[in-house]
Order: sequence, then C-alpha cells, then structure tokens
Amino acid sequence: MSKEKKRKAIIFFAALALVFMAGAVLTGSSEKHETVQEMMRDSVLHDLNKISLLGIKDVNPGLIAGFIVSGILILFALFCRIFVIPKFKLVPGKFQSVLETVVGLFDGMAKTNSHHLNGFLGAYIFAAGAFIFTGTLFELFGVQAVTTSGHSVSLPAPFSDINGAIMMGCLSYLVILSGGIIGNGVKGIGKTLKEFSLPISLSFRLFGALLSGALVTELVYYYSSLSYGLPVLVGVLFTLLHALIQAYVLTMLTSLFYGEVSEKTEKKKKAKDKAGEKADAEESNQESVDNNEQEAAA
Amino acid sequence: MTGVPLNVDWQQILLHLFNFTILFGALYILLYKPVKDFMAGREAHYADMDAKAEQALADAQSSKESYESKLQSFDAEIKAEKAKMSEELETEKEKKLSAAKTEAETIIQDAKAQAEKEKSKIVKSAQKEISDIINEAMDKLALGESDADVFDKFLDAAEEKSK
Repeated sequence: MSKEKKRKAIIFFAALALVFMAGAVLTGSSEKHETVQEMMRDSVLHDLNKISLLGIKDVNPGLIAGFIVSGILILFALFCRIFVIPKFKLVPGKFQSVLETVVGLFDGMAKTNSHHLNGFLGAYIFAAGAFIFTGTLFELFGVQAVTTSGHSVSLPAPFSDINGAIMMGCLSYLVILSGGIIGNGVKGIGKTLKEFSLPISLSFRLFGALLSGALVTELVYYYSSLSYGLPVLVGVLFTLLHALIQAYVLTMLTSLFYGEVSEKTEKKKKAKDKAGEKADAEESNQESVDNNEQEAAA
Repeated sequence: MTGVPLNVDWQQILLHLFNFTILFGALYILLYKPVKDFMAGREAHYADMDAKAEQALADAQSSKESYESKLQSFDAEIKAEKAKMSEELETEKEKKLSAAKTEAETIIQDAKAQAEKEKSKIVKSAQKEISDIINEAMDKLALGESDADVFDKFLDAAEEKSK
C-alpha cells in the first residue's frame, strides 16, 4: 500500500469513528432503569436483576451465562470430536497443535504437581480451566438477557456470581479431598482438612477477581463519556489477562494441593530424614571450618 | 433468600454444580480423552519407531562386528596359507636345486668319464700313430734313407697329422 493510500485509509477510519462518536453523543443513551450504585450493588448481591430459568425459578444472570458457556464449550467439543479429531495427523496442523497444546498443558500441570493419580486431576483442571477462561471471555460479548422485571441486562461472567464461584471453590476442594483419600486414606482426609480455609479462599479469590473486573467494566460502560477508547484497554485487554490468570491460578492451586495431599507420607518422612542428615553434615562441616579458623587465628 | 450473606443460594450452587458436571463429562469424553489418547498413541508410535531403529542399529553393529571378526580370521587364514605356500615353495625349490645339483654332478662325471675315454682313445691312437711312424721310419731306415730325410719325413708326417 502506497503512502497516499495509507493516509486516505487513516483519514477515512478517523472520520468514521468521529461520525459514530457524534451519533452516540447526539442520540444519547436510553433512560437507565437503575443508578450506578444500584447496578454495582446488584453486581455484588444479585438481588435485583433475576432471570427466569424456564419458568421454574428466578436465577442470577451468572447462572444463565454459565449454561450458555457450557453449551458453547460442549458444541465446540462435539465439533472437534466429529470433524477435527478423526483427521488428526502425526505431524499436526495449526488447529491440531492448539488443541494438543491446551490438553498437554493441563495434563502436564497435573503430572508435574501430582505424581500419583493425575489422570482424573488432569481432566478436572482441563474442564475447570476451559470453563473459567471461556466464561470470563464471555462477558466481552455483552450477550443480552431480559430480567423478570422486563429490563435488559448483559450477561456477566459465570463466576462473577457468588454461587458459581462457591461451587467451583468447593468442588475443587472436594477433588483435592478425594485425592487425599485415594492417596493416603484417613491420613489424606486429615491432611486435606488442615487446609480448611481452602474452599473459602478458592471461591472468594475467583469471585473477587471476576467481580472486580465486572464492576470496572460496568462502571466504564455506564458513563457514555468513558465509553470511547477506554473499553479497548479495560474491556478487552484486562478481560483477556483476567481470563488467563484466573484459569491458571485456580487450576494450579488445585493441582498443587491435590499433589500435596495425595503424596504418600512415607516419602515425605524419608525426604525429611535426608534433609536432616544434610543439615547435620553441613553443621559439622561448619564446625570444622570454624575450628580451623580459630586455630589459624591462634 | 434473606439472611444469607451475599445472597448465597444453595439451589443455584447446585444448579452451577449440575452444569459443571455435565460440562466436565462432555469435555472429558469429547475432547480431553480423544486428544490425550491420540497423543499417547503418537508417542507410542514414535517410541516404537525409535525402538525399531535402535534394534536395527544394534543388528547392524553386531553384523559389522561379526564381519570384522570374519575379516580378521580371513586375514589370519590368508597369512597361514601364505606361510604354508612359501614353505612348500621353499621345499620345492630345495628339491629342484638338489636334483639339479645331482644332475649337474652326473653330467660332469659323465663328461669327465667321456673326456677320460676320449683322452685315452686319443692317447691310444696317438701312440699307435707314433708307433706306426716309428715303424715306418725304421722301415725307411732299413731301406737306406738318411737320418735327416727320415727325420724330415717324420716331422712332415707329424705336421700333417696335427692338421
């Protein structure tokens, strides 16, 4: 592309952006049915905007988002199973490489952190990681849903709903507990129960991280003056980072604790004994060095 | 649900759990397991290839060693054969030499005997001739020729003989 053409393209896109901006400012936003305080309070407490779940129960928008994300993921998996996986080659193509890298990443994480019983752990952290990552990215699309009060809301990330975050935290703790029981029996239960704060910390870490992201995004989009330029940074980059970091943190913590509680106790004792012997040897070495120094000084 | 902090709703937690359980099962069956199985299969395939290549290499190495040892044994065999041949050659040479010597001695002895024979024959014939000449000279003397003539005739006759 020549310089002249480039210059023309830049001017065209800048003019287009200005036209959209002017249009947005001149038309104004529709009348908001809630104040920013109410909106942010609802993001935390979920007591105002409820969505009817097939007429059975009024639920938080996060649960609906969770169902949609699960549906998308299952459809994607089905597509891969039918159309992609049967055509896998020994020398992988681009898409095959991506799939293999993702599966290999979680499988490797499970194997690295837990030397025993890592088959189930790998599958669990794969599902959890995929759900958290996709769920967090889901809020980027601003899928609209109608609340029971007839207002439109954009669906948030499933884990910005406290119920979703509690489910994920507690389920991860149960998975860790199961690893402890299978690996060490009753001792494993004891080891897992020692970490009694884990379900709370896992749940609220996830909830807090996603809620803060959702709050910032809501705040930015609430005021039309903040809606130009800033969402590129806040909406896209932060959400992408967020999705990666939260998926990584939860899966890493789960696999770490799982590996710790499922590890056989005898090995630890041996390791401790070895460490004790090493420390003793170092101490005696240090003493002999000190004695030599004293002698040399004398 | 009032009175519960942050409006935590156990029913919704169970619904989330239900949702995630289905997702976990579906992802495991449809994506995680098939991809992992494929990767394990490929790993096994390459491990198998590697093992086969190593086996082939080991076979090649062993056959190389066997050929080398065979070559070495051939060398030794060739050396032994050479030594044997040269020994045989030497024996044959000696045999031929001794035969030639014997033959040469026989030839020399034969030649000597022949020469001796010839010599005695010549001497005999010379003696006979001398006696003949003497006889002739005596006859001539007896017939009245001078000593000088007889001597000259004797010399002429001897000269003629020698020619």
